[in-house]
Amino acid sequence: MRILTLLFLSILSFSAYSAQDEYEFANAERAATFKALTQELRCPKCQNQNIADSDAIVAKDLRDKVLMLVNEGKSKQEVIDYMIDRYGYFVHYQPPVTPATIVLWVLPVLIVIIGFGFIVFRQKKASKKQKWNAQDEEKLAQLIKQYQRQEHNS
Amino acid sequence: MNKKLLGFIPFLIFIFLCVFLYQGLFGNPRELQTGRIGQTMPSFVLPDLMDESKQWRDTDLKGDVYLLNVWGTWCPTCIAELGYLTELREHGVRIIGLYYEQAYDPDFGDQFDINALRNEVQNMLDRAGNPYQFNILDLDRTLALDLGVSGAPETFLVDANGTILLHHTGDINPRVWRAKFAPVMQELSE
Amino acid sequence: MIPEIGYFSLVLAMGLSLLLCIFPLWGAYTGNLRLMRAAPSLAVGQCLFVLFSFAILIYVTLTDDFTVAYVAHHSSTTLPWYYKVTSTWGGHEGAILLWLVMQSSWTALVALMSNSLPWVLRARVLGVLGFLGVGFMLYTLWMSSPFERLLPYYPVEGRDLNPLLQDPGMIIHPPLLYMGYVGLSVSFAFAIAALLTGKLDNTWAKWSRPWTMVAWGFLTLGITIGSWWAYAELGWGGWWFWDPVENASLMPWLVATALLHSLAVTEKRGVFKSWTVLLAITAFSLCLLGTFIVRSGIIVSVHAFATDPDRGLYILSFLGVVVGGSLALYAMRVSEVYSEGRYKFASREVTLWANNIFLVVATLIVLLGTLLPMIHKELGLGTISIGVPFFNQMFSILVVPFALLLGIAPMMRWKQNQLPPMVKKWGGMLVLALALTALWLLPNYEYVAPMTFISTALAVWITLGTLLDIFDKAPAQDSFANGLKRLGLSYWAMVLGHIGIAFVIASVTLTSAYSVERSVSMKPGDVAQLNEYSYRFDGVKEIRGPNYSGHAGVVTVLKDDKFIVELYAEKRLYDIGMQFMTEAAIDDGFFRDLYLALGEQLSEGAWSLRIYHKPYVRWMWLGGILISLAGFMVVADKRYRRRKIKGAVA
Repeated sequence: MRILTLLFLSILSFSAYSAQDEYEFANAERAATFKALTQELRCPKCQNQNIADSDAIVAKDLRDKVLMLVNEGKSKQEVIDYMIDRYGYFVHYQPPVTPATIVLWVLPVLIVIIGFGFIVFRQKKASKKQKWNAQDEEKLAQLIKQYQRQEHNS
Repeated sequence: MNKKLLGFIPFLIFIFLCVFLYQGLFGNPRELQTGRIGQTMPSFVLPDLMDESKQWRDTDLKGDVYLLNVWGTWCPTCIAELGYLTELREHGVRIIGLYYEQAYDPDFGDQFDINALRNEVQNMLDRAGNPYQFNILDLDRTLALDLGVSGAPETFLVDANGTILLHHTGDINPRVWRAKFAPVMQELSE
Repeated sequence: MIPEIGYFSLVLAMGLSLLLCIFPLWGAYTGNLRLMRAAPSLAVGQCLFVLFSFAILIYVTLTDDFTVAYVAHHSSTTLPWYYKVTSTWGGHEGAILLWLVMQSSWTALVALMSNSLPWVLRARVLGVLGFLGVGFMLYTLWMSSPFERLLPYYPVEGRDLNPLLQDPGMIIHPPLLYMGYVGLSVSFAFAIAALLTGKLDNTWAKWSRPWTMVAWGFLTLGITIGSWWAYAELGWGGWWFWDPVENASLMPWLVATALLHSLAVTEKRGVFKSWTVLLAITAFSLCLLGTFIVRSGIIVSVHAFATDPDRGLYILSFLGVVVGGSLALYAMRVSEVYSEGRYKFASREVTLWANNIFLVVATLIVLLGTLLPMIHKELGLGTISIGVPFFNQMFSILVVPFALLLGIAPMMRWKQNQLPPMVKKWGGMLVLALALTALWLLPNYEYVAPMTFISTALAVWITLGTLLDIFDKAPAQDSFANGLKRLGLSYWAMVLGHIGIAFVIASVTLTSAYSVERSVSMKPGDVAQLNEYSYRFDGVKEIRGPNYSGHAGVVTVLKDDKFIVELYAEKRLYDIGMQFMTEAAIDDGFFRDLYLALGEQLSEGAWSLRIYHKPYVRWMWLGGILISLAGFMVVADKRYRRRKIKGAVA
């Protein structure tokens, strides 16, 4: 009985139609590139949405263009450059590295260095205050002997 | 003493920030600077809106300064600016229309009716004024994408050699003309 | 008549708040005890009037009074009663009134629970809170009143609440968030009061800590619910977009987390005093900055409220006065603050200092990323965008040193530690963490990217470190169980909080790496395969709700031919606004979510659908709940209860 059921189910699964993917690609790499691009490119008209999520006409046009370029074999950077040529830097959610934007990466590193530098500096200062070396030890021993002699004599 | 000076750093940083925040109140966060400014008009071959036998090329547009106005009858702001644009035409400004079709979606199985569109456009221009030397039909919005257009109305100021000098999003009215376009037009005429 | 009473009640509240601001502060300055003693009753008084005003707004909304503009714009007769109540904070004016409710309530609470605080400090804290109250009340009364009328021509039906907001998430997310934001103003008030008095000692830290923890707990919960809500509601399976409004809530949270840890150091060791005060000021300043960013129109966001440059100007001026004033006060008084503490480099003090550095850097990254596009444009350099790729890149780097430190931090003792034996232990921990991660990921996933492996290993590392520390600290002379009990609620709160973070890191890493999505068009009977799950489209049926109609796509999910669940993904058309909205269908599970959204109707009976398989996505909200629980647990600790008993005896 079980075998019959299994056979029946397997026939069913063969006859069930498969869903049609909205976007079809030659390989998985291209599919991944397309997905990454539609999430990294910004809809020029919307209130802060990427072109994957937006329903605007321009977003759809950009998606279609990205699809076309990816299927032509263009790399992710090539597609991004294509879009920036037309829509400016605004259209990419990763800012360009320019003298004006370098602060985005430099300032955090600087703060980490300053922060740790501060604590190290504080440690050095504190340890300097407490320096007690062999010379001081000898001097102290001498002073104690002197005091003891005085006590003995008086 | 050192600590006292350091203590003022947060305060100074905050004041510095406030200057920018204040300025931000009076800016328009939606205004973008697109990519084609300073570049030549991209090459294209598109039909005239009213006469499909006539094909327009980027080379045809060269020779004189012109405004390329992206518009559509579905766009209320575009209709609103037609009046002022017509005035500009009467003052000698060469304006070419790029019709940005928004409703037609081939994936959806829409039937595009060119004659209905032509009637609509003609009626609109008869009523509100016709600023255009002619209109180019960008049905698949290919030129629009190449120019960095995201909607309508948008206007490009192009010089005689085909170099794109300005890209304005939004309508053109006396204030915008005075502030943005007039200075550049002035420079070009010199 | 009734809306006017609501407005008038606010006027009275403002009057009392003004007195609350002036009398106690003047009294503290001149040593006038009578004036200082007025503070608690003024605080409670202004709270009652604000609550009454809010009650009236709820009343006019529930009774569909469309002569009130706010009700007409944000409510409708078709709205279920619980969403009518929610609509009172669905728009800008009402949301500010909700903020006021929180502000005045926290002020009253502080007034009632500060009996054992010396009068000078108590008066100053309440005075500062009063000042903040006045600022918001003036704004409401002058520019943002929810009681404006639409007479004589008022609509018969309201515009309805935005369908996106007709969701349980809207009922709890804003109130929780505001509880957090406003709660940080208490921490701020304590810091200012301490600076004014010139006394930054243990007392101040001891008092600040419980209030800060509760506020932080609420803020954590608010952000967690916000993320969950976006996921459940927006239909794209996303849970964080680094949108400016989201960032506006994250920044105070990061600084408040740093503040918590810094307060612990100040309370126990008496060091980092000037730093802790600065953090307390910064945390609330970021709350105000967030309010400004969201309501002024300087940034573009789907979450942003409708804007008005005048309102923006008021908020900026208020921000300038409060933050500028407090930072100026800080600059003037900080040199008098003296921390005399000795600690070695290998100490808990330094570890927590490092924690603070990383959290402050994280805040800086978010702040820069949010504001630089605006600054860049104003400097005439053009428009740029900073979004997901940037923030993800920076945070995935920052999490490495942060998580490494988090794993070992609880083991560090105060003042000094012998490192060599500890380093040996950590080496063992590292090997174990890597081994466990390998065991977890490699058999289950075909490809494990290096960053995915590292981040997951970090989450395991944190968990191991936390558990190991329990085993180290628990052993007692009698039994292990008694040893555990003796660790105290505070310690367990820390354990919960740190494990919560581990859950968040693991979830974010794994769901980002291994979520699968398919955008498909299906006819009834079609099957779409996603990993080991089969999604069978069983057609669409028409639906009808209280204020909407639409379609529900029915999908049966099978795993290896075994029935798992039947999902209903809706596409609703709301009657009044004629707006479309997708209600995604989610089968939630501890280890994975199955997510389904209905798209457009296509030709020949086909529909477009988006199907997702999202592993471990629930863990991030579980983590968030654990973290906020940790915040609330600390205040239940014995040392805070003792104070109440003392107060009762006195």
